[in-house]
Amino acid sequence: MKTRLALLTLSVFFVGCVPAPKPTISLGTGIGNSTQNSDLEYGSQPRNYASAIRDYFSSRLKHPKGASFQISAPKRAYKRKGLAFGGDVEWKGWLVKADIAEQSRTGRYHSAKPHIVLFAGDQIVEDILGSSHRLITIVDK
Amino acid sequence: MANFNTHFTVASGASAVVSATLLSMEVVTPEQAVIAFSIGTLGGLLPDVDSSRSTSIKVGFNVLSLLMTIMIIFVKSSSYSLIEMLIVASLVFGGIRYAFLEFFRKISKHRGMFHSIPVAIIWGIVIAIMCQWFFDLNSLVSWVYGVMIILGYFVHLILDEIYSVDLGNRRMKKSSGTALKFGMFKNRQQQIHTAVLYAVIPLLFMIAPNTEMIQTALFSHEAWLSFTDIILPYDGKWFFH
Repeated sequence: MKTRLALLTLSVFFVGCVPAPKPTISLGTGIGNSTQNSDLEYGSQPRNYASAIRDYFSSRLKHPKGASFQISAPKRAYKRKGLAFGGDVEWKGWLVKADIAEQSRTGRYHSAKPHIVLFAGDQIVEDILGSSHRLITIVDK
Repeated sequence: MANFNTHFTVASGASAVVSATLLSMEVVTPEQAVIAFSIGTLGGLLPDVDSSRSTSIKVGFNVLSLLMTIMIIFVKSSSYSLIEMLIVASLVFGGIRYAFLEFFRKISKHRGMFHSIPVAIIWGIVIAIMCQWFFDLNSLVSWVYGVMIILGYFVHLILDEIYSVDLGNRRMKKSSGTALKFGMFKNRQQQIHTAVLYAVIPLLFMIAPNTEMIQTALFSHEAWLSFTDIILPYDGKWFFH
């Protein structure tokens, strides 16, 4: 009896924990100008993204002096919230990958660390350490 | 086998040393180092959750039920009313802390598969997956927490093996070899269980966070250089930098 009760409670619990259906990302229907549709969804491509990234990290790196940047071209992407916070799309915009090499506190240069920088228009909204993240989907290949 | 206090003390000691080292190597921030320490300590208690009357199982299920309850409140706080949240939180807490614990006690066998190397690795990968998929942490931090669980787990298994040597009578106790093991192979069923565990590992890696950063940070020549950099004062001055 106890086991049955435990199983019943568990199944109710797990059913309750099933995350809400993920929103579908539409990239346009093909009607009208696809570039315009894409602009509406992802915003315009950031213009001075390289200098924006340098400025942004100059106040965030532990040892910004002498840091070197390798910045790639922007790509359209979207990011979902963590499943603990609902899992729905929280950001859509342009993503720029930047490899940043900085000195350690002992003065030795580390090899470049990959960062993912998320833009909304010309504004940086978030930076994520690493070259990929499971909750980010890059639309442009 | 070592008791709860011994496991707790040794696991927290080892976790403190490792998290402080990671902080010093600038792999984690101070806040992340504190969490890494806590996760490592928790990992040191985890293998005994298969022992139905152990303190570990009570602590483990208290932590798990509280975490799940808090998570549900986070997710539903914007849409649920206070009464709805109270009902759901009580159901989740009670469901895990009492119903699931009772069920787990019935199906688990102490010193079974839970005390094995593949299970330690699976726990580490699962924690890394949860950190990224559920809590949106970056790949490096997710894997640091995963590695800390594995470290705590290994400390527990090694300690159990050490305690299986009777130094007074200079003999091995019956429990020797039941903690730090690669799997169970005595009968067909055990062999299948072991095979399933090993098959699960690569599957989990398919959804796990990228390992590139953790490899560079902990298991590379550069990591070794970073480690040797911090052993002694880099500027030759002791305590007065």
